[in-house]
Amino acid sequence: MTKQKKIGAIVVAWIALVTGLHFYMNADWSVFMNERLPLDKRKLNVAYIPVT
Amino acid sequence: MFQGFPEIKEALMSNRMQAAFMVAPMAIALRAQGVPIKIVYLGHRYGSAVVVQKDGPVKTFPDLRGKTIAIPSRFSDERLIVHKALRDNGMEPDAVKLVEMAPPDVAGALAAGAIDGFSMGEPYPSQAEIGGFGRVLFHAKEYWPDYISCVLVVRQDVIDTKPEAVQVLVDGIARSGLWLEEGKRNRLHAADFVGRYYFNQDPKLLSWALTNPIDRVMYTPLSPRRADFELITSLMLDTETLDRPIAFEEYVDVQFAEGAKYTTAWKYEPGSGRAE
Repeated sequence: MTKQKKIGAIVVAWIALVTGLHFYMNADWSVFMNERLPLDKRKLNVAYIPVT
Repeated sequence: MFQGFPEIKEALMSNRMQAAFMVAPMAIALRAQGVPIKIVYLGHRYGSAVVVQKDGPVKTFPDLRGKTIAIPSRFSDERLIVHKALRDNGMEPDAVKLVEMAPPDVAGALAAGAIDGFSMGEPYPSQAEIGGFGRVLFHAKEYWPDYISCVLVVRQDVIDTKPEAVQVLVDGIARSGLWLEEGKRNRLHAADFVGRYYFNQDPKLLSWALTNPIDRVMYTPLSPRRADFELITSLMLDTETLDRPIAFEEYVDVQFAEGAKYTTAWKYEPGSGRAE
């Protein structure tokens, strides 16, 4: 493998890792999955802010 | 968890959230604009205060003339309480400058001197007091004895298709409120787990807000009462945040509060991990 290909592979792996971590840590998958359930099986999502 | 009411409004309208705790005037204004939601229960009573700099020049309410006060939204009870206090003190509505600010930002803004005061729900008045830079000028109930702020709002399609789920939610809030009113020990426990698991705030801050004094925030009675909302809508008309009178039945659905009328407090021993 040439040096250029090695650098390209590292960059791609890095982007894939950061993207994967972003989706794992920052996306709210429970809301996404809930919206794909049949209506009668969906949970109610209740919004609030940290105030009385 | 959201950081401001405008974001909650958008999430509710787009159906990303099916229910929300939001300030009562915002819920009424949305309904008046045709958004299909209803208020079904209250979140609490009292719990808002106007706070000023501890060693600042504002000692009494008239000293606020010309000062800048932060509020969570134009469509909030915290704005209306300032309006009512101005009126009760014989001052003009524009005697203070109101600026909208996300609730978590107000204590820092007061400490930095960016604002002269704020009108906000707990625990931000407590945060300013504990931090040593803020002083409660007045609690909302001093000008508005049956003061309410956040209400539980549910989308109409959920009320129509899943009323049993809404009833479970309202029953749970009613039972939690009754449990909180059983005494200081329960409030301290609630402050601990809500601070750590829901609000991501220091439990000491919530302990202060829930117990200094014990009736600083009340969790009964939480049924929506016509007189309370008629006062809110009249103040909204005064402040031009509502462009027409609106009937109580148009924005409140009392069936769930009626259903929760005879609920009892959770039987829950702090630390047991099980409620019945």
